This record gives sequence, structure tokens and C-alpha cells, in this order.
Amino acid sequence: MRYGMVIDLKRCVGCYGCQLSCKAEHATPPGVFYARVVKRESGTFPNTRLVFLPLLCFHCANPPCVDACPTGASHVRTGGVVDVDHDVCVGCRACMQACPYGARYYNRDPRPYFGDQGPTPYETARGSGGKRGVVMKCNFCLDRVQAGLDPACVANCPAHARTFGDLDDPDSEVARLIRLRGGTQLEAGLGTDPSVYYLPP
Amino acid sequence: MTVATDRWIPSACSACYGTCSIRGHVVDGVLVKIEGNPDSAIGRGRLCGKGVSGIMTLYDPNRVNAPLRRTNPVKGIGVDPGWKEISWDEALDEIVERLRKVHAEDPRRLFLQRTTTNTSGRAPFFVFAAAFGTPNVWAAGGGLHCGNGAHLISGLYHASWSLVPDFKYCRYAIYFGASKGHGAGHVSCTNMQDAADARARDMRLVVVDPMCNFASAKASEWVPIRPGTDAAMALAMLDVIVNELGIWDAEYLAAKTNAPYLIGPDGCYVRDPASGKPLVWDLGRSRAVPYDDPEAKDLALEGDRDVGGIACRPAFACLRRHLRQFTPDWAESITTVSAATIRRIATEFATEARVGSTIVLDGKRLPYRPAAAIFFRGAQGHKNSVYNCYAIELLNQVVGAADVVGGALGFSPVSYGHPDTGHPWYEPTAGPDGLMVTGSWVARHLPYPISEPKVPTTMSLSELFPLGMFGPSMASRDQEDLWRRFDLPYRPEVMINYGANSLMSVGNSATVAETLERIPFIVSFDLTLTEFSEFADIVLPDTSYLESVDSRPDFPFIFNHPAGLGNWSWPIKQPVVAAGGQRRPSAEVLFEIAYRLGIGDGLNAAMNAHLKLQGEQRLDFDRTYTHADVCDRELKSLFGPERGLDWFKEHGVLSWPKRVEEVYWRAFLDVRVPVYWEFMVPLGEKAGAIARAHGLHWDDAYYEPMPRWMPCPSHDLRDASYDFYGFYFRDTLHTNSFTNENPWLDEAARMDAFSYTIAVNATTAKAKGLADGQLVWLESPAGRRVRGRLHLTEAIHPEGLGVGGCAGHWASTLPVARGKGVFFNELLEVDFDHSSPVNQNLDTCVKLRIVP
Repeated sequence: MRYGMVIDLKRCVGCYGCQLSCKAEHATPPGVFYARVVKRESGTFPNTRLVFLPLLCFHCANPPCVDACPTGASHVRTGGVVDVDHDVCVGCRACMQACPYGARYYNRDPRPYFGDQGPTPYETARGSGGKRGVVMKCNFCLDRVQAGLDPACVANCPAHARTFGDLDDPDSEVARLIRLRGGTQLEAGLGTDPSVYYLPP
Repeated sequence: MTVATDRWIPSACSACYGTCSIRGHVVDGVLVKIEGNPDSAIGRGRLCGKGVSGIMTLYDPNRVNAPLRRTNPVKGIGVDPGWKEISWDEALDEIVERLRKVHAEDPRRLFLQRTTTNTSGRAPFFVFAAAFGTPNVWAAGGGLHCGNGAHLISGLYHASWSLVPDFKYCRYAIYFGASKGHGAGHVSCTNMQDAADARARDMRLVVVDPMCNFASAKASEWVPIRPGTDAAMALAMLDVIVNELGIWDAEYLAAKTNAPYLIGPDGCYVRDPASGKPLVWDLGRSRAVPYDDPEAKDLALEGDRDVGGIACRPAFACLRRHLRQFTPDWAESITTVSAATIRRIATEFATEARVGSTIVLDGKRLPYRPAAAIFFRGAQGHKNSVYNCYAIELLNQVVGAADVVGGALGFSPVSYGHPDTGHPWYEPTAGPDGLMVTGSWVARHLPYPISEPKVPTTMSLSELFPLGMFGPSMASRDQEDLWRRFDLPYRPEVMINYGANSLMSVGNSATVAETLERIPFIVSFDLTLTEFSEFADIVLPDTSYLESVDSRPDFPFIFNHPAGLGNWSWPIKQPVVAAGGQRRPSAEVLFEIAYRLGIGDGLNAAMNAHLKLQGEQRLDFDRTYTHADVCDRELKSLFGPERGLDWFKEHGVLSWPKRVEEVYWRAFLDVRVPVYWEFMVPLGEKAGAIARAHGLHWDDAYYEPMPRWMPCPSHDLRDASYDFYGFYFRDTLHTNSFTNENPWLDEAARMDAFSYTIAVNATTAKAKGLADGQLVWLESPAGRRVRGRLHLTEAIHPEGLGVGGCAGHWASTLPVARGKGVFFNELLEVDFDHSSPVNQNLDTCVKLRIVP
């Protein structure tokens, strides 16, 4: 089994629902985004295209971040999910250097969202901020997935642009979409073999 | 040992006026997650970025937690009010004393202002105003910017507040400055799903917009247009369709519009002398008969006629002739859209409408017109909003693509109610001259019939402008001059503000500040202290939507219930957490004020009427009720005694299936809509006479029965040094100025290339030596300036400057929002010259120059 995600760029409307529902799910501190949206512009006026490109950790089958990690904190979990063990991470950030996709964040100095005004009850209840001095990243919401739910960004997407499933199962929805719609990996040439596929806009 | 509590509480979002259904996950009394409620058709379990971020608004440490009284009598922008905490009793005693005096002297001296962000919460303000006896209520820039034209035209033609393409069946949609289904506003989350489904099945979407973001980014084709010229393009498309291609839906026009009504040389209907009804030409009997003659089968749409010596022709023939002047070549010079493009798009639209085709749904054969023309904020935000939206709507009308399968749909204009009770029930009906009267409406007066214009006695002068909703004179530069001209017999003495920040939401802040300084006593229900609060005498700490109850967050359905087939859903709003501090729901406080004032009988009567309470759920006039009581009664009145507030608190939402007759109602109801606005002729004469008698500069060109393109003040500016058309757009990350203080949304907006910047065409900018990220001033012809950073992009018209939302706060009480983004509205003039003499819509595009 290999967990994977398919993001349909034709359906995505760049509403930031993924970026912010992920933040709400994981209570990540300022500056840390397991999911985010970038706008990519191409062409020249008036033949302009603006593509909304949702990004997250690609949970590569050949994850350079795991290879680069000197302590074993970055590791591959069930279904190919790449995760970081914060008890083992020493914050050397070699993984961040290795990741070609900018999917990892160093939790240098976690501060609450309202700064000196202190953490909100939500941030306190959720232990927001996480552990100082470690690297943080998306883990495909593995807790949710193991409880039978979709990752938060998938479950929330208003445009139903995201699908989660088992890439190894040819009958899965993700496999079917990749096959039928010509799903591609971002910068596939790097040889990392991402588990996140994009359908054309 | 304490047992952890863990609950999911169904409620309603109010991060924007779309009010999608939510579930709040509460653990040990703390809200830890907001998700969409999958049980409801409103959002269908999914939320936008704003919706999931409500937690940070709820827990903002800058929330107001106790009533505050100003100690500094001097008011002004940047003047510290010297806030002092007072008790609720002290606050209400003072407010009631002030109001008692106003109520005794002249209740019209009470001015009620509310935010559009939480439009669903307006019912208590509505009934309070009615009970108190003041007509002076407005939405702090709402209407002026967003809907005086668009909602009027949607109401007149679709009995609805807004329009969407029938996402399920439409094959060709053209948007004029609209983003329905692409991230913001009414029905935002359900529309995003439905629009994505439409894209997936290759509905062609053409977006006419000066900027390529949101809907235009997802379009099959982006048509960049010069701001404020939408009518010119739509008129030229109409000319191509009816005069070059000769395509129209004769059956629809004859039966469902006033196209066959005979128009005389005076531009008015030729009427039956006996009944006064407009006449049509019955081709079968070769004579004129009243439009509703049951024997008339074949109504002429063309041909010159003579009726009792009066030379006349059908309204549609007048329209066809009128349109001949608006050639694609003419439109090209105004819009910058090439004549060839206009011709091609018009042809595609008219062809794809498949006039004459039908489809069977639920065993019923219905017209199938899979093309839709949709207008909203972009087309409407101009002095010429009426003609802009009117012209665009005529595209739907000529091909019969209105509220039929595949066409332009109003949001839920017909409801036959829950199967158990038949409530809520409403449908459009035929009014004067057979034209449609909407069955449900959001604002004070209906789009049709048109009331007689009168010498105004309201602050907004609205009696003179029966086609408008709100007038700028509530906060305009020339407010006092206008009021004096019309001998307004009173001035505002007390203002009650519900969550609006009119310093930022109307136009330039200096003008609005001047009008606020003249109001002796201002009370403001607020979540946080804003730029507006600096002008308040008393600030009352309101509960947020996550701490409040409301029985009708998505009613009227025409405001924010999804269109198309599927389910009806009636959700409620309920507190997901207990209110913090001394916050109280504004609705409860208003009720208490009303009862203390001794106007409870009026309040209860207004509630009975406004909420249509039935039978034993009706309120007694001599009792007091809490807002929660009233919510319980409304729900029982609608859905039966077993489904009161407690039932809804547990279940969150009641859903039932829509019927084909509700969604595609046009084929089932005998009502007509106007393709020729005959009523404009007498309206213009009467309103113009009143205006001129009071020395008001008047332009009759806005009162013609058929649309034309009228330039905005920006198009008429001759000083070539102002070489850009500045406009703002609604950002998907923010609602008005409200969400700027939410740190999650602020952070996302800082990462977005457009949210907080000034978008400028890269080629234009480089030719001027301007660089990406450069800090510049934008300067208006009136000398107003705002500062912001340029974002060089290919995704904007070379003449445009696009600014996101309503940002640029400066209040120290909003530490997150302060200094972020660009305060576009600061560049807008607010006066009669910059607003429409037909519906008082404000022009929101302005000529600008960039000053490095």
C-alpha cells in the first residue's frame, strides 16, 4: 500500500481552504504550512494564465529528506508516509536542504499568533507551537487516515479538488484519476517519485 | 475527576454573508476546529479558508469584553476616545435615556447602521427600526458598492438577490465582473463545488473582467475589459444576436416578457381604454388585445401597427431598433475588446442557448437553454450600474435562458415549503401590467412594482430613487447640502451601529468622519474596537457568531441558499462556546432596549410580521421575550411544535428535497419580466421634476426605457496624467475589512501575490520605470492618496490598477490588521456627482496616477 494524493488543478479555485483547514487541524505556529497555495502566472497579456497550485509534502517514494537526516528522525511510516519524530530531531535542517519542494519548516521560535498578547485558548488547548528547534511537516494526517478519515485538506476542499487513496491499488480513485486524466508529479525528473499527483488545469 | 467533554455542535458560519453550515468541535469548552456540516446543502460539509479560520476571530485577545464609554468628548480620526469600562446597566441607562428623548421628539433621528458581513443577523435590527419608527437604516456602503444595481436587476428578472448559471446543465456561461463559484460571497462553498463540477464536464466559461484572478483564472477564456464598460460589450453582443444573427426565443419573449406590449410614440405602453391594460398585437385576429387576453395565441414581436390612430410597435421591435446603434466596432472603442471577439462570443452564446430545445426532468418537458450571462460586483460597481446589469440580463432574456434548465438561475425564488408544513412558502406573482413581483426579498422595498417618487424625508433620499436600496447621503460630502435642498426636517441625533466599520466601507475616510462627527451620540456593537469605534460614545461588547443564536441564518433563501436541484436546508446558528467576558448578543440587547423604552408592543408586532409567525407562535404585544424565545417560535411556526430551537440545537439542520417546479419555476408560473422598462418614462419625468424643483443637477439619460452605456466619472476625466482606472476586487481570503484582523487569514494574505498589493500590468509598469514590490502612492484627481506596494503582473488590463478587498487598517486596537494591504476606498469620492441619479449606486472605479 502506498498512500497518495491527487490534486485536480482544474477544480481548484485557490480559496485557501486547504491551507487554513490544515492549520486548524494541526494548530501549526505562524510561518509553518503543511499545506499551502501558490499562484503561478504564465504567458503575457492578454494570453495570461494564472494557476492555483496547492502544495504539501509529496511523501516521495525516494525521499531525499530521509536520506539526508543524520539522526533517523525523518523516517518513512506505514503507506510510505514521510514523518519526523520530534523526539529524535536535532534541528540540523539537513532535510530542508535536501527537500526540493520546500515542504519542511524549521520551528525556530514558535510564537502565538497574537504575539505578546499570548496564546489563544485554542492554541493552549492544542499545544500550538509544537516543539522548538525541530523540523515540522505534513504527515498526510496519518492519525485521521488511520481512523478512517481523509486528510483534513482533502475532507474540507470546497471544490473537491483533492482525492486521497492507495496508489498501489489500480482500482482506487487516485489510481483511476491519474490514469484517466494524465496525472503528473511535480518535477518528476528529480527522481524522488512523489506520492502527490496533479491533474492538468 | 473531571470528565472531558467532546462535542461537535452544528451552527452557521458568519465569516462572510454566505453563512455556510458548520460544525464546531468543542473539547472541554474550547473550540478546537470548525468544519463544514455535511448534513446541510449550504456548503455541503466544505468550507473556504475564512470559514475554517473563525476560531482566531472568536479568540482574538483584542475582543471587547465589557461596555466602554468614551471620556474624551473630542472625536476624530486618530483621536483617542479615552475608553472607560462601565457596567451594562450604566450603558443601557444612558442609551435608553438618549433614545427616549429621540423617540418622543422624532424617531427618524435614530440612524441604524449595520455590517453586510453578517447580513443574516439583521432581522433584530429590522424589527427594532420598525418598532422605533425610523426609516434611516443602512448597510454602511453595502448596496452602494455591491448591489443597488445587481440585486435590483436580479430581483426584477429572477425574483432573487443574485444569479448563477445552472451549473448542472449550463454549457456556456459568461460572467461580467462576477466570481460566483470561485471563492467569495453568496453561497460560496456550494457554488465552488458546483462550478468545479461544471468545469469538469467542460462548461465553457467566459469571464469579462479587467483582472485575471479567481473566476477569470478558471475561465475557458478571459476577456480583459476597461473597467466600467460592461454595458457597451453586452449591448454590442445583443446587437449581434438580434440584428446580425436574428436569434431570439420568440415563444419565451411573447409569453414571459413584455416584448409583445405595444409601445407608442411617447415611449409608453398603448393601453386598452377600458381596462387600462397594455395592449399586444394578436396576429391570429389581426388586432390589438390586452396582454392577458386568454384568446390571444400568437403575439407579434415585430411590425409597425396602428391602434386607434396611434402608431406603435411591440417593445421587442423597439429594442431591436435601439440596439442597432451599439455595433461591435462602437463597443471596441469603449471596452478595448475587439469587435471580432464580441461578435464571436455573442455568436457562441446565442448558438449554445439552443433556442427551441427542451429536456425532460422528473417527467416534465422543460425549456433547455444551456447558456447564462451573469453579472455582479464588477459590472455593478459603477454610476451606470442599472444599464450595465440591465444590458447583461437582456442576453439571458432574448434567448429565453432565465430560470429554465441550463440558463441563468436566481437563487431559490420559489419555495413550496417543507412537506410536513408547507412552510416557508413563497413564489413570484404577476403585478401591475403583468410584470413579476418577487415572492421574497431582502431589502426594505421590492424591485417591482416601482413606487411613486416623492420628495424625500429620509436621510438617504430613497423616496426620490425608487430603484435604489441605499443612498450615499447617509455619509456623503454633500450630505448637508442635499438634506437642505429637500428640507429634511430632522438630523440624526443617535446612531446605533451593528459591527460596521463605515470609516472604511463607504469611501474616503475624511468624508465619512465629517458626517459621523455631526452625530451627537453613537452606540456601537463591536467585536473589536475599529476605526469606526473612535467615533462611538458607547461601545457594547457583542458576541461573535460562534457565541450567538439565530433561527434564520440562511433565510431569505434568495440571499444565500444554493440554486439548482438538490436539497433545501434550514440550519440554525447556535453558540458553540459560551460568551466570554461580559459580551452579550446584540439581538438580546436590542430587545432589552426596546422593552425598556416601552416600545415592546411594536417590537413584538414587527416580529410577528417580519418572521411571519403563525397561530400560537405569534407574540403577545404585552409580554417580553428573549431573542432565543423568538427563534424558538419562528422554528415551531415554520416546522411544527416538535421542531423548536431545542430540536434544531440537537440536529442543526432540517433538509428536504427541492422540486423541479421550484428550481425551474419560469415554465410553471404565469409572470412576465420587462425587456423594455416602460415604467422608466413616467418615473424619470416625476423624479426629475422633483429633483429640478430642488435645484439638483439631473441627467434624464439615466431614465430611458432601454439601456445604453453611460460613462463613469472616470471615463469623462480629461486630465491625461491620471492614466489608470483603479478598482478593487473581492479577495477570497477576506470579507470586507472585517477578517483583516484574523491572524491566520492575514498571514495567508501576506503570502498571496495580490491580496495586499496593487496589481499593475507588468508592461505598463516597466514602461514607466516601476518595479515589482515598489512602494508607491496612488493619487486621485481629488488629491486623495493611499500607499501600497506594486505587484507587476500580466493578469490585469494595461489600464487597470487592481486592489484587493478593503484593507489598510490604521487603528492600534487592530494590531494584526493595522498597516496591512491597501485602503482603496480612501480614493473614492462620496457625493451625488459620483452616484447614480437612478439608483444612487456609487461609482467605485476612479482614475489614478502612480506617484513613486
